[in-house]
Amino acid sequence: MKFTYNWLKDFLDLKISAAELAEKLTMAGLEVTSLEERAGDFIFEVEITSNRPDWLSVIGIAREVAAITNSKLRTQGTKSKLKVQNKSQAFKINIEDKKDCPLYTLKIIQGVNVGPSPDWLKNRLELIGCRSVNNIVDITNYVLFETGEPLHAFDLDKLAPGAISVRRAKKDEKLTTIDAAQRVLNQEILVIADGQKALAAAGIMGGKGSEVSYATKNILLEAAIFHPVVIRRARQMLGLQTDSSYRFERGIDAETVRSASLRATQLITELSGGKCVSAIESGSAKISKKTVSFDMQRMNKFLGSKIPAVKIKNILSHLGFQIRSKSQYVLTAVVPPWRADVSLEVDLIEEVSRIFGYEHIPSSLPEVKPQVNINTPRDLVVLIKNTLVSLGLNEVITYSLIDRDWLKDFNLSVVQPVEVQNPLSKEQEILRPSIVPSLARVVAFNLNRKQNYLNIFEVSKVFCAGKPDPNEDLVLGIALCGEKAMLLNQGMVREELNLLHLKGIIESVLKGLGISGYSFNLGSGHTIILEKDNQQLGTLGQLPPRVLGNLDIKNKEVVAAEINLKKIFPLVNLHKKFISLPTYPGITRDISLLLKNGIKIEDVLCAIRKQAEPLLKEAAVVDFYKGKQIPSGHKGLTISCLYRSDTRTLTEEEVNPLHAAILAVLQEKFNAQLR
Amino acid sequence: MHNLDLAAIQAEIEKVNSSVELEELRLKYLGRKGLIAQMMSIIPDLAPEERSQAGQEANALKNQITAFLRQKGSSLAGPEPKATADALDITMPGIAQELGQMHPITQVINEICDIFMRMGFSIVEGPEIETEFNNFTGLNIPLDHPSRDAFDTFYLRDTTKLLLRSHTSPVQIRAMKEKKPPLAVVVPGRVYRPDATDASHLFMFHQIEGFMVDKGIKFSDLKGMLEIFAKSVFGPDIKMRFRPHFFPFTEPSAEVDISCVICHGKGCSSCGRKGWLEILGSGMIHPNVFKHVGYDPKKYTGFAFGMGVERIAMLKYGINDIRLFCENDLRFLKQF
Repeated sequence: MKFTYNWLKDFLDLKISAAELAEKLTMAGLEVTSLEERAGDFIFEVEITSNRPDWLSVIGIAREVAAITNSKLRTQGTKSKLKVQNKSQAFKINIEDKKDCPLYTLKIIQGVNVGPSPDWLKNRLELIGCRSVNNIVDITNYVLFETGEPLHAFDLDKLAPGAISVRRAKKDEKLTTIDAAQRVLNQEILVIADGQKALAAAGIMGGKGSEVSYATKNILLEAAIFHPVVIRRARQMLGLQTDSSYRFERGIDAETVRSASLRATQLITELSGGKCVSAIESGSAKISKKTVSFDMQRMNKFLGSKIPAVKIKNILSHLGFQIRSKSQYVLTAVVPPWRADVSLEVDLIEEVSRIFGYEHIPSSLPEVKPQVNINTPRDLVVLIKNTLVSLGLNEVITYSLIDRDWLKDFNLSVVQPVEVQNPLSKEQEILRPSIVPSLARVVAFNLNRKQNYLNIFEVSKVFCAGKPDPNEDLVLGIALCGEKAMLLNQGMVREELNLLHLKGIIESVLKGLGISGYSFNLGSGHTIILEKDNQQLGTLGQLPPRVLGNLDIKNKEVVAAEINLKKIFPLVNLHKKFISLPTYPGITRDISLLLKNGIKIEDVLCAIRKQAEPLLKEAAVVDFYKGKQIPSGHKGLTISCLYRSDTRTLTEEEVNPLHAAILAVLQEKFNAQLR
Repeated sequence: MHNLDLAAIQAEIEKVNSSVELEELRLKYLGRKGLIAQMMSIIPDLAPEERSQAGQEANALKNQITAFLRQKGSSLAGPEPKATADALDITMPGIAQELGQMHPITQVINEICDIFMRMGFSIVEGPEIETEFNNFTGLNIPLDHPSRDAFDTFYLRDTTKLLLRSHTSPVQIRAMKEKKPPLAVVVPGRVYRPDATDASHLFMFHQIEGFMVDKGIKFSDLKGMLEIFAKSVFGPDIKMRFRPHFFPFTEPSAEVDISCVICHGKGCSSCGRKGWLEILGSGMIHPNVFKHVGYDPKKYTGFAFGMGVERIAMLKYGINDIRLFCENDLRFLKQF
């Protein structure tokens, strides 16, 4: 909303500069977004919040300025009786539904001379960005900006005589609006019509056919109230927001309608020489007289302030509230008709605190009564993220909305993703059922920017259709790609990231959460499944070549995992118990052996443990060889076995037979060649 | 009592030229089967009155021999190693241990949550798919009202009016329906609005919501809390102002500005020459919201505030394009 400094001065004496006024308005809730000096005036642009339609007018702002600056508002003499010459030519007003249109007023003005507006009128409108059309149209616009009531003038001679009606449009009824667009209407849209046709989209825009032109002699001036929701729906359907629809959507009061109509009629008769011959009104819009009572002590307690009673009353009076005292602290305020937003005590508290100034209310600190709340899912997510970051991974955040096509070529068993009804683009079609396609895109994006080593993760929701409502699950996604280059003592060592890196990362995360007893098993289509107690916790694998091809990833492997945290959380065990450090020394024996490919290391380790527990405390792979010395179809391994007793120092004599038995099992069961 | 000549042992130790020989002597005297051990082993057989003296002598002897051995040992170790500079160039790059990073948005969320947790707030999260009631009606936002224009929303197909939450405030409704006051809660999370993406808009971004409900919570408490918050995030010299505003779910409502972090209030292009930057919206929880969750508005009062995390992060780090947060260029992420 724009207005000017001089226009405001029509309504009150301003003793402060435009810049000072801008600051005060901002601090009272009318945020001034720009202030520009032009042609001896200052143009203010203010952001009006949706609860204050009364501020969409110069008078409304002047009323506010009067309260802020403690000065008196000058109302113009628009209330003087209108001289209506001839009531006999009355038009009939038919309102189809009083809910759609609680009040419709019209004035018939005859013998107008349509022509250019006088300079003062033209200039004022042009300063606030409104193009001058002709004196009649300019006056309706001027009064709209001054009072907040949208008006419309029809060329009376273009209308079928006798009656005007306010009704819903017929299905597919057509109307060419003033902007020359032909619009197809429907029953949701309210129109002003004569006996034959729609003349205007009510409260939004007039029709081309009944527009006021230089040839116009007689006019019909409309001022009305239309239902805000009806106007809102219609302008959404028509895709047509105007200064008029904007105000009707926010609400207009009957008093303003009547005074605006009189003001415009006066200006028209003064500036165009016409005579008002008829004033008709239909509808029974009552001027509401709401009363809100409030307790000044409670008000100060609520704000944490000490605003004096005199000040409270003064502020509310300036804003147009009529104040009566019920008792020493309890007052009643009669709400002015233009303040439909005020109905509760807190609304008055806001008015008082706003004008008193938030900056004059002190600061204090409340007594917080904390609730004990530990190991919430959020705490666990923080723990997981900390583990991953300490392993050198980087967190990313990607959109939860994706293009359905991204799922192609991923082995996603979810058939039914959740669809968005009103996406702005194809990339927002569905809520993602998996995080991996998004991570793959981040990998591709970074590879494109010559980042050759990528280790990323994200924790977010994934979604799938469900009955009755969609499901959302929290998941952890990880993706690795490229060569890790490490400058070590022996020089540059490069290592390509693969599934075992990914497995190691997942193992560390699970260890951090105190989860054990899980396994990684081969699932269908080269996917590896993380399981515990026959429950699938997540999947990991290499991205299929087609996916890489689509993302333009060349000569690189990408491995990715998705872990369902909803299933992980119940397994978390963060209780730690101290285990005594070993009292007696242990004996370590390494076994180097050759195994045929296809024999699982986990099976070998299990057999070893089974054979030599409880004195065997640990059996772990400590080295792994491939290459020339190893016959093809085999792998070379070194397994380290630690023997220890909790009650005595073990002797070689005790360990030797145990170890020999292990070697025998390895040879017998796995056909291992010892090296 | 004993036949060991201390001076002779000292001379014997002095003559040694290698640590191997020294070890042999250590075993000869102090080893498990060494001479001192032998001396000790006969003590139990002595007459009771002799035991104590024999024990003391053996110990004294052991201590002295240990001292000789140690002294010789340190001289055998040779001269101090030359400065490592010859062998190792310490100006070579250290062997890298690469750090991972949390996303800057996560870092800011954690920082803000920590500030409020230290003041006794709990963290609560809610679903991203919400009902119209929780996202709008319960928060005193009528469905067909212009106040809804600020909350353009993604709806979901084939559901009973479910949507992607357009703010974190629905969690207020959830938390208050679940628990009675006192409540002091912070809610971080993703929110969605169908805005065209540009340098200052994303269709998915993050908010942090906070609210407190109890008997006697005041508007001045809101001011005090948010002052602590702003100084913690932006530094102790930051200035703050509360500007009246309108939100359907609070009354009175305030927008909160901080003095511009770039020009310190003088006015620059970042703050549109105003000297102030808007950082959050806040207010006293509207009585209608309390009614929707079954709280008695005569008994309880409360404040609420909400902020866009991306905006705070942009101000804090001087980032000029919001799209960087969702692009995930590692060169960007690794800066934080």
